[in-house]
Amino acid sequence: MSHSRRTYRFILWRATAACAIAFALAGCGGKDLQYDTDDEVVMYSETNRIRGLDPVKAGDVASSLAIARIYEGLYEYHYLDRPYRITPLLAVDKPEVSENGMVYTIRIRPGIYFQDDPCFVDTGGKGREVVADDFIYAIKRVADVKNASTGWWAFNDRIVGLNAFRDASSDGTPTDYDMEVEGLQALDSHTLQIKLKRPYPQLPWILTMHYAYAVAREAVDFYGEEFVNNPVGTGPYVLENWQRNYRIEFVRNTKWDETGRIETYPAENGLENNKTRLHRDPNKQIPFIDRIVQYVVRDRSTQWLMFLRGQFETSGISRDNFDAVITEDRALTDSLRKKGVELLTAPAMTIFYIGFNMEDNVVGQLDDPDLDLQNRRLRQAMAHAMHTEEWIEFFNHQITRPTGPIPEGMDGYREGGIPYPYDLNRARELMEKAGYPNGIDPETGRRLQLTLEIGAAESPEIRQQVELFSDFMSRIGIVIRPSYNNWPTFLDKIARGQAQMFSLGWVADYPDAENFLQLFYWPNRSPGPNHARYRNREYDRLYEKARVMPISPERSELYQRMSDMIIEDSPWIFSHTPLNYALHHAWLENYALHAFPYGMEKYLNVNVDMRRKWLEQYGR
Amino acid sequence: MTTHAIHRDKQTGKSLWADAWSRLRHNRLAMFCLLVVILYTGVAMYGEIVYRWHQWHDVTPPYQRTNMELQYLPPSFLLSPFAVDDGEEVSSLKQAVTGISNLMRHPLGTDGLGRDVFQRMIQGTRIAYMVGIVTSLIALPIGVVLGCMAGYFGRRVDDFIVWIYTTFASIPGLLFILAIAMVVGQGLLGVYLGIGLTMWVGLCRLIRGEVIKHKERPYVTAAHALGLGHFRIIFRHILPNVFHVVIVSFTLFFPAAISTEVFLSFLGIGVEGEPSWGIMISNARLRLWHGIWWEMAAATTALFFIVLAFNLLGDAIRDALDPRLRTGK
Repeated sequence: MSHSRRTYRFILWRATAACAIAFALAGCGGKDLQYDTDDEVVMYSETNRIRGLDPVKAGDVASSLAIARIYEGLYEYHYLDRPYRITPLLAVDKPEVSENGMVYTIRIRPGIYFQDDPCFVDTGGKGREVVADDFIYAIKRVADVKNASTGWWAFNDRIVGLNAFRDASSDGTPTDYDMEVEGLQALDSHTLQIKLKRPYPQLPWILTMHYAYAVAREAVDFYGEEFVNNPVGTGPYVLENWQRNYRIEFVRNTKWDETGRIETYPAENGLENNKTRLHRDPNKQIPFIDRIVQYVVRDRSTQWLMFLRGQFETSGISRDNFDAVITEDRALTDSLRKKGVELLTAPAMTIFYIGFNMEDNVVGQLDDPDLDLQNRRLRQAMAHAMHTEEWIEFFNHQITRPTGPIPEGMDGYREGGIPYPYDLNRARELMEKAGYPNGIDPETGRRLQLTLEIGAAESPEIRQQVELFSDFMSRIGIVIRPSYNNWPTFLDKIARGQAQMFSLGWVADYPDAENFLQLFYWPNRSPGPNHARYRNREYDRLYEKARVMPISPERSELYQRMSDMIIEDSPWIFSHTPLNYALHHAWLENYALHAFPYGMEKYLNVNVDMRRKWLEQYGR
Repeated sequence: MTTHAIHRDKQTGKSLWADAWSRLRHNRLAMFCLLVVILYTGVAMYGEIVYRWHQWHDVTPPYQRTNMELQYLPPSFLLSPFAVDDGEEVSSLKQAVTGISNLMRHPLGTDGLGRDVFQRMIQGTRIAYMVGIVTSLIALPIGVVLGCMAGYFGRRVDDFIVWIYTTFASIPGLLFILAIAMVVGQGLLGVYLGIGLTMWVGLCRLIRGEVIKHKERPYVTAAHALGLGHFRIIFRHILPNVFHVVIVSFTLFFPAAISTEVFLSFLGIGVEGEPSWGIMISNARLRLWHGIWWEMAAATTALFFIVLAFNLLGDAIRDALDPRLRTGK
């Protein structure tokens, strides 16, 4: 009964939202959607559908972005520094790590308050100070089976006693949050101690994620199921108004002024090429923007038109309108430039690759050193045969080629060019050394045939990508036989090591090269993430050493050595890294593309006068 | 004219087939369609020769060779091939020669990977014919044999065969094809089996009905009286008399199989790694809104005319073979 009523209400909401959008769009002029911005700074943007605002349950980007405006964690990413590094947010300083790397002691800033909310019954609705227990409570909520958190992987089997807590929470009774977890202790009200089962230097990255944001137990107890719609945090903004699937509005958290909390724009700037643009406000107090208004607009062309009319500050570029927006030399078209639209580009922390099955007799690693060398040369020859320019042209310049197994922006990233640049002569030479002169397999007397497993055949883009790759390989005499599977079959083939070659990608979970280097660690072999089943004892030894090392020059050096080993052995052909493109109007200041943009709106500023003038000129 | 023809028929005593042919020959539209079908067949055979030649010599055929510099070239007849660069003195003969060779280079333009659309269209014709022929070779024997047996033996055999084809007919065709493609793997084999094993049902029904009509005829009774075996009666006596049904079915079956193949390939569950029309249409869809229409146009036009020609021809053959139409006029 209640379910059907909820469904009905949901449908009603959607209908209302649809009507509202229709009216808003039908109305003339951009002003209908916007406030009169005389006395406050408002930012308008577009968002995907936000599913919920519970830090423990959210798994999608739109919800995470919204949560990070309201809640805060101990650490955050530095806004302007690259490679990405972490700075304290609610913590006083970096964590104190014990000798053996297993005990983290983190001191929490005093004088941080939750926003005012009716859930704080004891204080009459006044937000209370944040203490260490709020973080312990948050992590316990992630571990609670009943919450079905999407973030359990980050803590699973890491913290002493947390798995026992999880097991205890799986029975039918309400979870006992007072149960002691040995690894999560509040030494005093403002000191948090985390004990690990084994070293986990990636822990600080995990603590920047919304799974570890401070949560007030009063709020969860007060709102129960409705907590997902009633966020109570410490962040720069509070939720003002939320109409699901249509509009969400955040306003400045007045608690900051009330309690004298001052945060500032970063003083230093690591983004060389954007020095002046991003350096208008060093050390100034943030947030600059008083109100953030977001609309859910599903249709890409509607989004685009709203951006062009100045209704949104920022926009992405879809593949469809890419040609209409970006010229051949990867600059903005004149008409957009004249309107003051600015273009930002940054590579995503993702690597797409063609993997070889290293247990395969033709392309893999073999025990016989001579044959092993021959197969390695074959793999290298194929890497040399990838025509970089044509490949980039095919992707409409929305990619770059990776320089190794570590993407740009991470410690250990290899400077310099593509490891195997396009060189047909070199490739043919390597083919000859590999025992396939002109690609002819001496066993059959015909060209060497290799099978490439593909995950999804429905998309013409993927099919064309495969056809282009096949043609690259045919130029050195290799015939690629594509084998199209549905996704589960594809994953199954890889998991069982039955794919000779396969096309796959990996998206970074956190900006530590360990996240990529683990993909070549033998104990992680498929069904684990080492799908190539790459096997190298020396590499494994270095990996085991590096993964428990704190961030240090020695570790970077190890990373680079491991990266070089991978490049030499070529278990992957590094295919491409997608480029993120973003547009913004000139009146949006301090806008930098960030791979982890959570909670970064507090650094943005809107030049209200400039926007008003622009709207008068173009906003019709 | 018609009466005269009938009169002459009586005099010369033409066979059913010769009569049908003479009637067909006087149907101009049908003859035109036949011409179109022959033309397509020739193109398909040429495509097969090109394909086999490259297979034999183990080289990548030109229609698979990519060249990103030639991406999305419009059809050459739109490029004013006879235009001459300013200030360049060229004899009119040379101009004509370069013009014609330019015209021949990419007569229907190039696709997103710089491959020649014309050559891919020819290969698409080859694939379409392969699918039409192979699926017919699968479906027609099944339909004919089961239909004859059901109609001739009746009783249990009939019940059983009717049960089989109603079961087949009740499975949605596309799902059945998808299931077969899952089992045998994606690619041409899946398409052959998928289409071949689903489309025999209609033919089987028709043949069964015809055979039921024929088995009470005196010539069958006579054959029984002579003590001939069932096999011989079915295939030597009855089948030739119902064979026109097979011919008509074939001409309608063929374009249906081609359309299904294009449809499957378009959805990404059909042919892979070969330039099928369906794949061409699917690829062309990406840039259609940019005004790059030639790949889409080439594939759809090719598909349209072959299907139309086969359908019209099939109707004309049916009319020509129908005894009622022959005597009715």
